[in-house]
Amino acid sequence: MKTENLNKNNKDYKYGFTTDVENIRSPKGLSEETIRFISNIKKEPKWMLEWRLKAFKRLKVLKEPDWQKPKYPKINYQNLYYYSAPKSASEKPKSLDEIDPKILETYKKLGIPLVEQKRLNGIAVDAVFDSVSVATTFKDELTKKGIIFCSISEAIQNHPELVKKYLGSVIPLSDHYFATLNSAVFTDGSFVYIPPNTKCPMELSTYFRINASETGQFERTLIIADKGSYVSYLEGCTAPMRDENQLHAANVELIALDDAEIKYSTVQNWYPGDEKGIGGIYNFVTKRGACKGKNSKISWTQVETGSAITWKYPSCILQGDNSVGEFYSIAITNNFQKADTGTKMIHLGKNTKSKIISKGISAGNADNMYRGLVEIKNKAINSRNYTQCDSLLMGNKCGAHTIPYIKNNNASSTIEHEATTTKINEEQLYYCNQRGLDQEEAVSLIVNGFCKEVLQQLPMEFAVEAQKLVAISLEGSVG
Amino acid sequence: MKQNYDFKIEKIKNLSPEEIILRKKNLALFYQTGFPNKKDEDWKFSDLNSILGKNFNNISNNDFFPKERGFKKINEFEHNFISLLNGKLISTNFSYEEKNKISLDNFDYKNEPFLENKNSLYFLNNALATGGFLLEISKNYKLKKPLVIYNNFSNSLKETIVNYKNSIILNENSELNLINYINNSSKENFMVNILENIKIKKDSSLNNILINNSKCNCYFYKYLKSDLEKNSNFENYLLSSGLKFNKLDIEINLNEENSKSSVFSALNLMNSEHQEIKTRINHNTPHCHSYQKVKNVLNHESKGIYQGKIFVKNIAQKTDAYQLSKALILNDAAEFDAKPELEIYADDVKCSHGSTSGSIDLNSIHYLKSRGIPEKEAYQMLINGFLCEVLEKLSDGKIKNFLKEKLERQINGY
Repeated sequence: MKTENLNKNNKDYKYGFTTDVENIRSPKGLSEETIRFISNIKKEPKWMLEWRLKAFKRLKVLKEPDWQKPKYPKINYQNLYYYSAPKSASEKPKSLDEIDPKILETYKKLGIPLVEQKRLNGIAVDAVFDSVSVATTFKDELTKKGIIFCSISEAIQNHPELVKKYLGSVIPLSDHYFATLNSAVFTDGSFVYIPPNTKCPMELSTYFRINASETGQFERTLIIADKGSYVSYLEGCTAPMRDENQLHAANVELIALDDAEIKYSTVQNWYPGDEKGIGGIYNFVTKRGACKGKNSKISWTQVETGSAITWKYPSCILQGDNSVGEFYSIAITNNFQKADTGTKMIHLGKNTKSKIISKGISAGNADNMYRGLVEIKNKAINSRNYTQCDSLLMGNKCGAHTIPYIKNNNASSTIEHEATTTKINEEQLYYCNQRGLDQEEAVSLIVNGFCKEVLQQLPMEFAVEAQKLVAISLEGSVG
Repeated sequence: MKQNYDFKIEKIKNLSPEEIILRKKNLALFYQTGFPNKKDEDWKFSDLNSILGKNFNNISNNDFFPKERGFKKINEFEHNFISLLNGKLISTNFSYEEKNKISLDNFDYKNEPFLENKNSLYFLNNALATGGFLLEISKNYKLKKPLVIYNNFSNSLKETIVNYKNSIILNENSELNLINYINNSSKENFMVNILENIKIKKDSSLNNILINNSKCNCYFYKYLKSDLEKNSNFENYLLSSGLKFNKLDIEINLNEENSKSSVFSALNLMNSEHQEIKTRINHNTPHCHSYQKVKNVLNHESKGIYQGKIFVKNIAQKTDAYQLSKALILNDAAEFDAKPELEIYADDVKCSHGSTSGSIDLNSIHYLKSRGIPEKEAYQMLINGFLCEVLEKLSDGKIKNFLKEKLERQINGY
């Protein structure tokens, strides 16, 4: 089997495997026809198609941004398929038994708790295979509480009033090239609505996987936390080996109303390319949350270990008075990986607070960049920001960069920013070696310590996986 | 674009045909973009084009050099001086020094290569520059007294731009205390655009101070490029409060081992003053140090900006680089923006930056008031303490006292 050969050749990538599933594909290339095809196959109402076409119209006048540090070969948007779905999905499965066994096998390798681990972990999983959601579990339990957790396609059918109201309200249609591209051609993603005064009883989780070759993945996630509610959402990705670069341009919108809190955690482990920097995913994601209500809170936590290029800035717009935004990030780059990530905290409301903790680790020939904006507007009196970004370098072929933009526009607000760049402390290494840990174990231990503040923010299930990922990502980086 | 350009190369006398061609080329390059605007990443926080648009009806290059009148000189300490009027060298005095150790001349536009900085003000300077000087200090010579460069600007400069270039060379094992003194008190609006090239050779040391004498309606831009050799030292003190607009664009190249550089700045901005300190420190070899401390106090609707970049090349191990910017914002209409940037390719380095901005500590004000000090004075005391700290490292006591006094005047109002 071809797949097995791939696995043999690329042992380093633990999650490198593909599943053979016949695909339904949209016409190749980006055109109105493609958009109509996607909208049609999803049986979308007319307003949705019009929304997509409006985005497409806007896209034609937008230019691809080029200010980022990691450069990449020009993407031929006419050479991509914008939709592919597992064939068996056209008749929607009602239980796990109906699902293509091959897909189930893939999930098993990934460790998604669909079958036996389902109850044990207490996680409701809306698993997305390629672009269509295949199975949704724990639905009953959530329905009882009035929580809506489904694919965005279903939400467009069943809850159009919510989607109409909030879709594009944080990331507008005309935002920037990749966000607009997503608005035009997004295929699927998750939708969450938490009703007022409800605490979501479990952590909601979706695993994304890129599968069919030459398929850009355009996910759209919309999470709404109504007044006084709470939700924690987990997003994790692993992807199979690919030689050709794949584009992943997702949009994630979070909306927190009065007294609501959203916690969004990501572990990103897309295929990073091989040791020579060939292949790998382009992860160009737009994530933005709006603290619309008073006393609301949005917290982003991310562990970025994969992708050839990671380019994203999960942001918070702090509109409501007393609202809080948080950003915790670990970005690890090895070999020829490049990361340009950070956050934007835009303070509009009074007494708003934000906190940024960013840890960048760079090894091999990689480039790791923190780029962030903290802006306190004139009316956001008594606001506060604290930013800390630390970088760790291993060797002199890699790079670490920090580019913070800091804007303070009133006299009662305080911004504090600090950043450091260092290497692994040799005394600590020596100490670990002395206690019988080999070099790699020691590095992994020290790096995990360096990232502790961020790892602590992750939900339990993720924290374990993330710690392993940190170690795996740095394998072979110390000599 | 509101302002109209009226730039004429013909106004400049004694140019060779080749020079005219070269200058015209540069002017054409300037016209392609006009004055820098916020679309240019380096000018993101200082949209010069729109600032000039609001304050100038038209702008032409200066060709008027009035006869010298007596300019106010510094009395506080003995010094040598070079006096410039509208950029043109008019008088010098090196009576404290050995004559053959210092060479001073008009800037040589025919043989001096242009600096490489690709922004439109650079092209404009290439096209229109006249005047300026070339200063060279001989090997093993340490100046006995500080050197003051009086940058005088006449009152006739309304709606004009003055462009000139300077070049300063410190040969091996030499030492110089340099004070750039901006002297103008007219209410007329004018712009100054200076390109300066400094070479500091092995074991040499340069103290470079910039101070503005009085409040004026001057729009100031200076691009300073410096190259440092082994064991050399370059210290900068920037006290330019009072200029309507100011952007100091400083590039320091640490090209050989054990070279040291520092940038200290203390600004107290009033009214609608807009001042930016932009630095780029290139650590090109191992064992170099750089230190930056930028402090701003922002009153009224003023705007302070710090864009600092530390670049560490992959071979520059054992680099020690530090960056700190602090701002006190005293009014809701004032603004402080910072972009402290690190770009690091070597692992065995110590690089860090910090940036804070916030209001004055009201507890401290309360403490002083409870001791019978009026509120206004309490503020001045705290601001004074906050800003004067950057002068602590200055070794020359007389200059330090002089600068402290100037700074106090800048704080307490002219």
